[in-house]
Amino acid sequence: MVFELHVWGPAFSLPSIDPHCLAAIAYLQQAVPRGEWQLVASSNPTLSPTNELPALRDGERWIGGFRNIIHYIAQVSQGQWVLDAGLSEQEAADCIAFSSFVESQGQPLLDLSLYVSSENYAGVTRPLYNTIQPFPLPYLTPPSIRAAAKLRTEHLGLSGLDIDSEEGSPKDNSIIPASLRTPRTTVSSLLATTPEINARIRLDALAQSFLGPLQDLLGEKRYLVSERQFSSLDCLALGYLSLMLLPELPQPWLAKSVRAHSPQLCAWIQDLSSRIFGPSVTPAAALLTSSSSSTSPDPSALPWKIPDTGGLLGITTTYLTTLADSLPVLGQHRLDSKMRRQNANTKTPTRDLSPASSWPTVTLLGGLLAGVASLAVLFLKRGLFEEEETRGGQGLDAFGEAGAALSFLADQMDEQVRRDRAQAVGGEVDVVVGVEGGL
Amino acid sequence: MAKEEEDLGFWGDARQTRVVKDLFSIPPPVKKLFDRVPVVTYPPNPLPQRGPKTSRVPSLYVFSNDVDAAAGRPSFNPSCLKWQTFLNIAGIDHRLISSNNHASPTGSLPFLLPAAQSSNVSQEFLPPIPSNKLVKYASEHGGRVKEPSNVRYEAYQSLLDHRIRNAWLYTLYLEPLNFSAVAYELYVSPTSSSALVRASISHTLRAAAEAELLKQSAVIDADDLYSEADKAFEALSTLLGDDLWFFGGDKPALFDASVFAYTQLLLDDGLGWKEKKLCMALRRRENLVLHRERLLVRYFGGS
Repeated sequence: MVFELHVWGPAFSLPSIDPHCLAAIAYLQQAVPRGEWQLVASSNPTLSPTNELPALRDGERWIGGFRNIIHYIAQVSQGQWVLDAGLSEQEAADCIAFSSFVESQGQPLLDLSLYVSSENYAGVTRPLYNTIQPFPLPYLTPPSIRAAAKLRTEHLGLSGLDIDSEEGSPKDNSIIPASLRTPRTTVSSLLATTPEINARIRLDALAQSFLGPLQDLLGEKRYLVSERQFSSLDCLALGYLSLMLLPELPQPWLAKSVRAHSPQLCAWIQDLSSRIFGPSVTPAAALLTSSSSSTSPDPSALPWKIPDTGGLLGITTTYLTTLADSLPVLGQHRLDSKMRRQNANTKTPTRDLSPASSWPTVTLLGGLLAGVASLAVLFLKRGLFEEEETRGGQGLDAFGEAGAALSFLADQMDEQVRRDRAQAVGGEVDVVVGVEGGL
Repeated sequence: MAKEEEDLGFWGDARQTRVVKDLFSIPPPVKKLFDRVPVVTYPPNPLPQRGPKTSRVPSLYVFSNDVDAAAGRPSFNPSCLKWQTFLNIAGIDHRLISSNNHASPTGSLPFLLPAAQSSNVSQEFLPPIPSNKLVKYASEHGGRVKEPSNVRYEAYQSLLDHRIRNAWLYTLYLEPLNFSAVAYELYVSPTSSSALVRASISHTLRAAAEAELLKQSAVIDADDLYSEADKAFEALSTLLGDDLWFFGGDKPALFDASVFAYTQLLLDDGLGWKEKKLCMALRRRENLVLHRERLLVRYFGGS
């Protein structure tokens, strides 16, 4: 049986927009012989039992998540398709520790760079989802990913990067009284600089604390933990680092940091990503929409397969499922029961493909209701208002160029003020006269 | 024309201020009355009796109960225990005060209230020290602090802060058996005797743990959490090897305290764990168990 690896679609000339998907692609590319697996850019997390991509499909069986996939492949191949097999004890320990490090420290950086930063999100990341997902889904996916990213980076106190948010005053966790705190981003500081420049020092320190240990670990070696062996840590690090270095963003602070702090790591990323992911990937090539490349002659290219969206019905179901999952109580219950079903089938996680319990019908009804209600709201809110906000944000940035217009405005305002003052003076005279008349 | 207007304005201004002054001056009878009633400033009220008294020893506020705190026994909260152990290792004399998050200026325990330097304690303002400033405080107050600089320090620290912490959150709050047997007794029962309040606190605690775990993944996958924690203990065990302390130091340091914070609580039978997956994963690593015992004997009198 040929494995199918389902991932988020390609972006930034990489085969996927998600670091874990990139890691899984790299792992399968290195561990599993060609012809034994196929890559599907389905961009649909509801396929996975853990509700996250990457997900591996082996016949009727679904396995969700990078680590579960590694375990499953090792299990199925009887220990044949394992990258970490030949590592020494110390190297294996490093592999575990640095995997945790890369995930926990790399995720907030990617979150800030791709999702929280308003300019990057509105200018690049959000439009990208239109190219990798069928029509109504991009209305749900990027905002929910962004919300999760904001939640994850809340403790860093860098929410100022997001100039879209209305509330503007996050919960105060500081012990410094309000009167002594330096003011948050004001309109004038926004005019002067972008929030990324304001937060530059903090962002740099954050990036440095992530890159430093990796740079030290790499040293002069060919791979991160060992000289000759490509490990699962390399996959993970490649996933995160290539998404930091390669995207071309309006606010490229993260790529700049990587280039400035560790040129060695840069070379390593560029070398590996071109070797493993092959030449740059376009959405058309991944989704095989262009008819020419149905049989890829290039042996270095990834084994793409056309994603089966299930037509209009499939897309609608996905849309409703996504909506149902995002409902406060119902959604969590759905996810939990999905998990429980998976756990009930013990170590080989299987997804129940013929749900017979009453819950799915209830959730489907709930989903339908929510869908009808939210469709209107979402289309209005996300589609129209946010577009407006974006335009507003770009307008602010364009102020520098529109200096002439501004100065004209300013002149006019001065004139207005002068006129007002003159009137005010006249008014005072009247008052005095009135008082005297009264006396 | 403009000049005339200005002149007019000037004169108008002067006249107006005179009028206004007359308007606002206090009428003589009222002024007399006020002169007869002098303004008295009372001395400030004394602080409440049960308020914290500044002492000659710094006070560390931790999750604990009064008896254990007085005896200096380990706190039952990992981050409190980490800093408690660190202060013991650094040789900073301190006393423990049983408290909860509401007492802390940062919203979370532990924090340290420094010792009063002079005798006129009431006039002195001593800002509390949150846990992330404790290393600095210790080194400024003659603590023996020496952190090993190692390439691997950050990576292995992240194992504790994420992999093991996540499994800890799950096993303590979201395993129903453990929650009712361990967490309920430690965090819920002491706060109130009312069933309603207890139910509300239990719910808040569990929801907070769940939210924390859901930040990192779409669903809470218990098997994954446990297997990752198991691998994390494996890695820590390999890192420690046959050394006495982590990173080959001749004395324990902050990293040892961070590890001890979890190993002590998972290996403490007094807590009454019911679902012991995480405890068993740790017990399989003999050198980590011995490491915990060394620290317990050396800094907590083996209690």
